[in-house]
Amino acid sequence: MRRVTTRTIGVVLLALLLAGFLLLGALPNQVADIRVAGLALLWWYGGVLAPVLAVLVAIRWLAEPLPTSPPDE
Amino acid sequence: MTSVSRILAVWLTPAVMLAVPAGLAGRGPDGLWLGLVVTLVPLIVLGLGAGRPTAPPGDAFRTGATLFPVVTLLITVGVLLWANIALAGDVAAWLGARRWQGIVVAAAAGWLLTAWRPLRRMTPLLLAVAFVAAAAALLQLAWALGLGPFAVWERVATQPAFRFPPSSPWVTSGRDLGAVRGGRPLVFDEVHRLIAPAGGVLRALTRDGTRLAEIEWALAPGQMVTLRAGDQITPGSALRLRFEADKRVPGAPASGMAWAEGRPRRWLERVGLLVTLLVGAAAVLRAGLTVRLSRDGVGFVAGGLLLAFAWAQAWALYAMIQAPDVLLGGVTLERLIELPAPALFAEPWRRTLQAVLLVAGLAAFLASSLALRERLGALDSTGGGEIGHDPGLWAGLFGGAALASLWPVDPWALSLLALGGAGCALGPAALWPPAQGRTAATAGVVGLIVFASFAAAQLGESSGGRLATAVAYPALVAAPAGFFVLWLGRRARR
Repeated sequence: MRRVTTRTIGVVLLALLLAGFLLLGALPNQVADIRVAGLALLWWYGGVLAPVLAVLVAIRWLAEPLPTSPPDE
Repeated sequence: MTSVSRILAVWLTPAVMLAVPAGLAGRGPDGLWLGLVVTLVPLIVLGLGAGRPTAPPGDAFRTGATLFPVVTLLITVGVLLWANIALAGDVAAWLGARRWQGIVVAAAAGWLLTAWRPLRRMTPLLLAVAFVAAAAALLQLAWALGLGPFAVWERVATQPAFRFPPSSPWVTSGRDLGAVRGGRPLVFDEVHRLIAPAGGVLRALTRDGTRLAEIEWALAPGQMVTLRAGDQITPGSALRLRFEADKRVPGAPASGMAWAEGRPRRWLERVGLLVTLLVGAAAVLRAGLTVRLSRDGVGFVAGGLLLAFAWAQAWALYAMIQAPDVLLGGVTLERLIELPAPALFAEPWRRTLQAVLLVAGLAAFLASSLALRERLGALDSTGGGEIGHDPGLWAGLFGGAALASLWPVDPWALSLLALGGAGCALGPAALWPPAQGRTAATAGVVGLIVFASFAAAQLGESSGGRLATAVAYPALVAAPAGFFVLWLGRRARR
């Protein structure tokens, strides 16, 4: 079985962030159009929340792991 | 830093960068989806199998199969250059210069930069210039209006209608109707008096009850014609027209609320766009490369994408509130390079800000040209990057792209075609590297053939339903076909 790396977690989280937009848009009763602090929920999510979370996910999970220092001789 | 700037510059070409605010202004949530996908997809691609070589060396790959990704990426780079040089021509024409002038400036500067060795490491600097200049114009606009982006969004979304402001060039001096290429019909919602300052022939479909009639007026200079609600200017009319101030902009969304809601939501088209850009990003950012980014590097890439998306959103909103005529007949990319504030700034401040915007656009184009050259050079199997350093090859690419740009094309559609085609040819193997290069090439050829077949159907009559989505986004079918061939290749090896 293949090992689940931190990058896999990051990619899955980013994919979920994208899926969240489609899901929010598909919710019944125009939930996505409810305005919170002047902005519709869909715009809060797609324009602010998801991109900012994506940056945090990328920094936390997508970076190349630091090289392990060689053992002291 | 170079690889970070290369990733950003390859991905955020001016055509892609401006497609986001154009989509936001013209299609509301659909444009928001486009911006989100453009922001997140490179991160997904960098995360998928990062650090693994996507083109494992094998005998087949070293010989014939090596040629396939190189030729594919060469064509992709050529088409991307074509799209962006065509955009430079559109911008020149929109701002009152000759189309060829914009094309020559962009193509000559791009070629000079790629051919002259001392200038080849300027991608980070050019990218920084583009970001700073674009941000400066935006901040100046926000400061002059005295409204933050959230307040502007609220104001746009509560507009009862998008109307021509009295200071609009479409109202004061008039503009050539031939420049309206957004594709939306110019249907009038209310009585509207149009003046042809230089005269010309105006054709319109007029509605008399339920009966439609095509009428042609031969207008003398300064003559006026009145169109009623339901009338439509026939596509292809090319004469200078002046519109009436405070009248609804034909082709604009019915209201701010209609724009913000953006119904109907076509989820399959959104998936099609996602698949196209995902495999396209895999092709242009990953195919044949081993991408390793430190935490700082990932942070810079993600931060740069976030800043670009934030700029695109704010720019679209300020354009809509300050110059709603940007929506006339559908939003095209070149209109977003014009400062959307005809009456907000006095001269020479207005000209200066317009120049700053043009500098941002040119710097972004040059950064992309350099980064695309480096990207192609990195594929060179000899390790010397000769493809990226051949002045004759690059003169041919820029010259060909410049010649092709003399005929107006939609730069975003062309970019999408290039990314989709490259994505279906190289994307599956870049995201799911096979053990043998020959399998990757076979999957690429199959993906490319399927993509080309569906893309060719775009030229024919439009079909309905899901097939129409597959025709509009051929990668929706072609990318899975490529993955299927890879899967078969893996099974055959076991």
